[in-house]
Amino acid sequence: MKRLLKYFTYGLLVMFILAGCAKQPTEDINAAQKAVEDLKAAGGEKYIPEDTKKVDDNLSAALNEIKAQDSKFALSKNYDKAKQMLAQVKADAEKVKTDVPSKKEEAKKNALAGQEEARASIKEAKALLSKAPIGKGARADIEALKGDIKGLEDSVPELQQLIEKEDYVVATDKAKAIKEKADGVSNQIKEAMQKVKGKEGGKK
Amino acid sequence: MAFFEYSDKRNPKILVTLGFLLSLILPGCSPPPLPPEVGLAERMNHDLWKAQAHVYASEEYQSYKTTLKNIMDDLIREEARFIWFRDYEPIAERLKAVLRDGEGILEKVQERKEVKRVNTTRQLSDLEERLTGLDRVSLTINEGRLARRSLIKAALMIKEAGLFLDRGDYEGAASRLTMASGYIKASEDILVPIFNRYTDKTLIKKWRRWVDEATAESREKGTSAIVVSKIDRNLSIYKRGRPFKTYEIGIGRNGLSDKLLAGDGATPEGSYRVIKKLFRSRYRKALLLNYPNDEDRREFLRLKKMGLIPKRAGMGGLIEIHGGGKEGMTYGCVSLENRDMDEVFKLVPLGTPVAIVGTASPKDDISITPKKVGDD
Repeated sequence: MKRLLKYFTYGLLVMFILAGCAKQPTEDINAAQKAVEDLKAAGGEKYIPEDTKKVDDNLSAALNEIKAQDSKFALSKNYDKAKQMLAQVKADAEKVKTDVPSKKEEAKKNALAGQEEARASIKEAKALLSKAPIGKGARADIEALKGDIKGLEDSVPELQQLIEKEDYVVATDKAKAIKEKADGVSNQIKEAMQKVKGKEGGKK
Repeated sequence: MAFFEYSDKRNPKILVTLGFLLSLILPGCSPPPLPPEVGLAERMNHDLWKAQAHVYASEEYQSYKTTLKNIMDDLIREEARFIWFRDYEPIAERLKAVLRDGEGILEKVQERKEVKRVNTTRQLSDLEERLTGLDRVSLTINEGRLARRSLIKAALMIKEAGLFLDRGDYEGAASRLTMASGYIKASEDILVPIFNRYTDKTLIKKWRRWVDEATAESREKGTSAIVVSKIDRNLSIYKRGRPFKTYEIGIGRNGLSDKLLAGDGATPEGSYRVIKKLFRSRYRKALLLNYPNDEDRREFLRLKKMGLIPKRAGMGGLIEIHGGGKEGMTYGCVSLENRDMDEVFKLVPLGTPVAIVGTASPKDDISITPKKVGDD
């Protein structure tokens, strides 16, 4: 009986020692944190904000779990769940990160296409303006439209700056607005030209 | 070893049995599950972020996050307690309360967002209306490129604001509208003072008088008269009191204003006469006017006395009707295309009355009152 008690005591001691050895999964923490940081650095917050936020929240939850285990009695510390959570965070962050370039590329493509269209529309408006006969009654309109085109041209460098700053969504909006206004100017020039033609016809 | 010795002495069998029981019970005993409110509160936190609570209810959201964090810290402390002593009930109750707060914040966010949407939409339509008014004014008074440049930039910002609104980004839309407001203000600063002169009934009456006097003289004496209408950018020749021919003109860079002093770039308004015909001029041919006349001198002295003109300022002079083209801007003279100047030069003798007015034909459609920024 004495021997049995002795073995039981030793067993209990071994259990204590083993449980006391459970350590924070530092490597897993670092890996998960790095994966999330990499995702953010790649533009996750800008291009896939919701998924990035989810991954970030899950990382916080995993760190909370570690905190919970840290404050437990040595015998009952168990980081398995935290490790699992961290592994999931790392995998999710890496997955979302792989989606960022395509989203970014798509946004960039849209912005550049918009910029091209805006420039083409301004060019067309300018070409039309140079051909417009400055006749009686249309001169004021043409003068005003020259001012309009100048204003549109002033906005093109702002558009370029937005693209350089990789602010593609706002750049696309700006490009769209410039194109629409430039097309409007072209239409007005055509109308002004019609006005002149109409008056010339009346003189005959 | 005293414990074992002591136990051994009492009842070693009981101790061993207890030990076995403990070793069986402890690993088999699973901790109580975390209250479901933990997950719900975390999801609520995400929903609040998604609804932009950090923008529309930042203080409340911050307080929600702090409370939640405190509860989570307490939860961690509770989890650290020995299994048999863990009690999640108080934490669950606190989480229920924080969830109710979250619901309240979410509602508040939706309300504030709606208010923002309505206000931004209204602001957008107000600015659009103001822009349309100024656009018409700029075309009516032929006032040019600078005002138009600002107007088109305002139009671009308004368009962008519309796109932000469509995306539900009301803050972004509002910031674009603020910029649009700035551009509108800039164009108003150019247009409104000019506009006000051209709607001033006393001035219009004076201009009409000058035109009437010039044309009446032409009719009575059977001679020519010149009427320059600055806003219409034209010069009309009258013969025997009747309009004979009209030419397009260019005026000073600040031409729509009345000339007050030398170097202001304005084209004078008044009743003048051709006092010299210059067959050779820097600008082909020229008709020199008797600017400043007596009325101009009186006005100049009056304004100087009032301190509205610098003490050292001069009145300027050598105001001509000359060639050189109508497209360029002059220092205050009236310019015509060379071929038109040749014609005018032939038609006009010395002493011809010249009425230079803001407008010779006041229009009703000029009475568009542009609302000033900040009027509402």
